[in-house]
Amino acid sequence: MSAFVEIIDLSKTYPKASECSLDGATFTITKGDKLGIFGPNGAGKTTLISILCGIIPQSSGDVSFKKDGKAVPLKSMLYKLGYVPQDFSFYPELTPYQNLMYFGTLYGIPKMKLKQKIEDLLGVLGLSHVTHKKVGKFSGGMKRRVNLAIGIINDPDILFLDEPTVGVDVQSKNAIMAYLEELNKNGTTIIYTSHHMNEGQGFCNRIILLDIGKVIADDTLPNLLKTHDESNLESLFLKLTGIEYRD
Amino acid sequence: MTKLLASIKKEFLLLINDKVGLLLMYMMPILLVFIITLVQDSTFKLVNENQIEIIVINDDKGPHGDTLIAYLNSSGSFTIDEREGLSQEQIQQTLLDGDEMLAIHIPSEFSADLDIKAMNISIGMLQEFDIIEGTEMSEVQMDELILYYDPVLQESFRYSVLSTVYSYLSVLENRLMIEGLYAEMGYVQVPEDMESQFMDNRVEINQVSANTSSNQVIPNSTQHNVPAWSIFAMFFMVISLGGNIVKERLSGSFIRLQTIPASFSLVLISKIVMYVTVALTQLAIIFALGKFVFPLLGLPSLMLPSNILGLIVISFLSAMSAISFAMLVGTYAKTQEQANGFGAIAVIILAAIGGIWVPSFVMPDYLQTIGSISPMHWCLEGYYTLFLKGGDWYLLSPALIFLIIFILACQLLTFIKLKIQNFI
Repeated sequence: MSAFVEIIDLSKTYPKASECSLDGATFTITKGDKLGIFGPNGAGKTTLISILCGIIPQSSGDVSFKKDGKAVPLKSMLYKLGYVPQDFSFYPELTPYQNLMYFGTLYGIPKMKLKQKIEDLLGVLGLSHVTHKKVGKFSGGMKRRVNLAIGIINDPDILFLDEPTVGVDVQSKNAIMAYLEELNKNGTTIIYTSHHMNEGQGFCNRIILLDIGKVIADDTLPNLLKTHDESNLESLFLKLTGIEYRD
Repeated sequence: MTKLLASIKKEFLLLINDKVGLLLMYMMPILLVFIITLVQDSTFKLVNENQIEIIVINDDKGPHGDTLIAYLNSSGSFTIDEREGLSQEQIQQTLLDGDEMLAIHIPSEFSADLDIKAMNISIGMLQEFDIIEGTEMSEVQMDELILYYDPVLQESFRYSVLSTVYSYLSVLENRLMIEGLYAEMGYVQVPEDMESQFMDNRVEINQVSANTSSNQVIPNSTQHNVPAWSIFAMFFMVISLGGNIVKERLSGSFIRLQTIPASFSLVLISKIVMYVTVALTQLAIIFALGKFVFPLLGLPSLMLPSNILGLIVISFLSAMSAISFAMLVGTYAKTQEQANGFGAIAVIILAAIGGIWVPSFVMPDYLQTIGSISPMHWCLEGYYTLFLKGGDWYLLSPALIFLIIFILACQLLTFIKLKIQNFI
């Protein structure tokens, strides 16, 4: 498999911060990956995703997106890059339809195609019955699904999700994870952070563990479990990152 | 273009969902313009057209107290309520208890003292002209008239009454002085035609407002209040627009936009387009009310300036100033509460020092200097030049220059902050 994104010696120190949030992270993302990035609070997961999506600049190091084996600038990737932030990044005063129409138009999706896409997405994510209701009045799970729908409105080739299932009920979590599985089967590369180890264990084909800004493990889950002689992701996580509080 | 239209549509949807913001932007200025204009206009009418009730306590033993009362009566400005034998304390208590707000006490020696004073002036004049000599002048220490007033009465109103009383006192004194002149020269009385000539020979004063246009607009409460409160309303957009920007920033919508292939300037341009539209519709509504509804309420109608292009330019720059200020507040505020609180207080202060509530010329010099940094001052100057001074482009130029500099400064500071935050 060819590299889709190459991350080389990536570091980030925020202004006025005494310690770096990301410290020399180096790894590659391969097309079709379901890559889970795990780590304790403050490990640098959100910082890493933010740099990869171009939201914040890195202090040093390099991120290189590849297309047909050639490096391309992030800007040219944006049409096929999806991002689902941890916070609800939409307009709660508007309906799911209005939110999706707005963000979809910014991606340059033609109106008729966009309307169809919105109808399909809201149907799959169980939001058809609230298409024209204001998002601000939705439950946490419904808001998460709207957040996800906006992030994938452009049929992304690569999708970054920052804790997409935090604070939702089991039903919503299952719906979200099932849809992500479907997306991946259709060719979308998924990079995902979470604190839910069981969820990650079931979903990801590759795991990266971050701690204090450093990549401390990067492999498929079976290989990691075998190497560290652990039975599941949670025990592996505790073994490698310790049991002390990190925040 | 499609992206810009989508952004503008999104701004429109956000705006119509912000009911409080809409009320603040449209209803508040309409109410303010109506109430302030009605109040100012009725105050003007109270002083200039209505009769003022005034208690007169005439203790004068001679005739001149009655003459003064007759003059005040004939002026048409006062309704005289004559009372007798009230002490100083009783007069004050009457004012505190009753409907009247003013009382004049004429002292007992008013006529005698006035006669002596007038005679002294007459003798002095005749001695100056060597017509008579050797006549001794009597010493006189006139007792003062006392004007009692209710403490709630506004100072300007009190001075207006005082000046009317002074004016009629002066007429009375002149009359007595002329009578004294004739008496000293041996006439029994002043010839009737001579007396009336002296008394009526007042010079008419024609009032002309300085204006570069041939179209004379008479300054009135409408001409002042409609533009002033329209400007205030435009700047009050800081609550809606400033809050809207903070909300988008904090909610992460701005962050999501960074991962979308659309320029961030689209967001800013769409906000500007939407809120310029709001500001101009605010102006159009308030101006239309001034023009068509005010006369139905007995208020003066708004006279639009002849320089329509100037009106459009000043209105656009005023709207852009208000929007740029709101964007600046929204970009620098950390929370929505901060944007709303700081924004509202800043607008009120800028309005106060900018002459929206009280004309700048009545402020002390240092406050006028401080006021000149208020964009609202220059918006108002622009409208005053258009509405009251004929709207000459040369006279408009200081306001145009300041507003353009203010807009550019706000936009630059906004850009710098957004750049630091990595949104641009």
